[in-house]
Amino acid sequence: MPEEQSARQTSIWAVGGGKGGTGKSFLTSSMATCLALQGKRTILLDADLGGANLHNFFGLIRPRSSLTDFFEKKVPLQEIAVHTGIANLQLITGSIGSLDSESINHAQKQKLFRHVQALDADMILIDLGAGTHINTLDTFLQADKMIVVTVPEITAIENMYQFIKSVYYRKLKSIFKAYDLNTLVQDTWKNRTAHNIRSLKDLINHLKLGSDQICSIFEREMSGFVVHLILNEVRTPKDILVGENLKRVCMNFFGLRVVYSGYTSYDEAVQKNINNKESFMLFNRLSPVVKEIRQITEHIVTQTPFPTPEELFDGRVA
Amino acid sequence: MAEWHNYYNLLELTQEATLEDIRNRYRYLKNLYGGDSIEIRALGDEFSQELRADYLRRLDEAFEALNALPEKNKAIATLPVKDLDDDLRHWIAQIECFTGASLKGVRERMQVDLKEIFAVTRIQPHFLDDIEQEVFESFSAEVYLRSYLIEYARFFSLDTQRVLGDYLPRYRAGRSDADS
Ligand SMILES: Nc1ncnc2c1ncn2[C@@H]1O[C@H](COP(=O)(O)OP(=O)(O)O)[C@@H](O)[C@H]1O
Ligand SMILES: [Mg+2]
Repeated sequence: MPEEQSARQTSIWAVGGGKGGTGKSFLTSSMATCLALQGKRTILLDADLGGANLHNFFGLIRPRSSLTDFFEKKVPLQEIAVHTGIANLQLITGSIGSLDSESINHAQKQKLFRHVQALDADMILIDLGAGTHINTLDTFLQADKMIVVTVPEITAIENMYQFIKSVYYRKLKSIFKAYDLNTLVQDTWKNRTAHNIRSLKDLINHLKLGSDQICSIFEREMSGFVVHLILNEVRTPKDILVGENLKRVCMNFFGLRVVYSGYTSYDEAVQKNINNKESFMLFNRLSPVVKEIRQITEHIVTQTPFPTPEELFDGRVA
Repeated sequence: MAEWHNYYNLLELTQEATLEDIRNRYRYLKNLYGGDSIEIRALGDEFSQELRADYLRRLDEAFEALNALPEKNKAIATLPVKDLDDDLRHWIAQIECFTGASLKGVRERMQVDLKEIFAVTRIQPHFLDDIEQEVFESFSAEVYLRSYLIEYARFFSLDTQRVLGDYLPRYRAGRSDADS
């Protein structure tokens, strides 16, 4: 499967992050607009669990056909796609409960992945919505760029940690399954107190220490495994540092590589544009958020980290 | 050598790091993992008191060890502290207990202004003053005070362990009095 991915031309981005209302849909649609305006043929896939709403961000009414037609009537994905009013940008809408649904079995899921990968586009951006349902995690893991969105608020951060841990654990299980070592991870985790394993990072170190084979499997499969982090609704300069801190915590506690791709400020204009059925990226020239989204998009394309200003690190407690 | 490697790893730095890089990173990580920001609180049980204490202790150890490396000390030589002459050395050796007042005494003997310490350590002068005056309420948690004391002591080439050993019990006693 990894070989197929590297040969493919289309780049798939998936946006998740645990909690609802953190701006996933807003940022996904804005980044997609940004890429489309650069001339990349882009398709947005709204795979939100019960709240497909990407159409709102383009002032469209809910499209008539959705992924349900793909699953139930075998309508090709390309035919479900609608124009967004922005050149190079199309939208495929989810259906209520689409990915959350237990009715989607493994085979259907695989079929959807195959068809998404075969779509004729340069970029496919998937809005996963909230939650850590297995279908959500698997879609996230299939992406070329895995992106999480959170806000500087404790419940959102808790949910984000939970999401990242679930993703990581799922990834580990799938790797070990591929090598027929799946029970090992589960058993080790179950007996974690006996092995003095306190975190996912400990778990991995424990498994690696146990065998050279696991060590090399790990190196091979995980070397390119990176999660991109976007911090939304930043209100103070100090908030900017939260993204940097989250990155470190994830590396330290979960042993996971995270790139802090950047932040977006809180701006009431976001809500206004949506209510006025205007695309934020097109109709808003004044908001700092437009520039911030452009930078984030660029950072994700090139996999460069946001350069956190030095002076923020020096924020000593007063 | 493996030990140095671990120290650098813990601070997430490479061996090319300057003394200033080491100090800045140490301070940043100490504030992050010693504090109770939302990023840390959201970890919940995952970051137990035990784990936290262990991590902070290793940070201190790494910071002190890397600071003492000869190649890093070239940079220390640029600190504005005058060489300790024998007189001064003798005088310092006689200090029974490193209280706020005796730290201030050392500083005044060496004719160093709080601003000069700030210029090198970036510790705000009012915190330095609070250390000397033993205004313990200014330090909400021992971890902050501890890292400041280490830097204060290093600035004047004092024995870090002695300064910590003398000063911190005074802080703890002062804080528990205030609590009760
Ligand atoms: N940077 C921002 N500034 C102000 N409002 C925002 C910002 N980002 C998102 N919002 C608002 O927050 C709400 C939730 O955003 P949405 O993208 O739908 O979240 P999610 O998809 O994560 O559930 C929307 O009403 C949106 O207008
Ligand atoms: Mg949404």
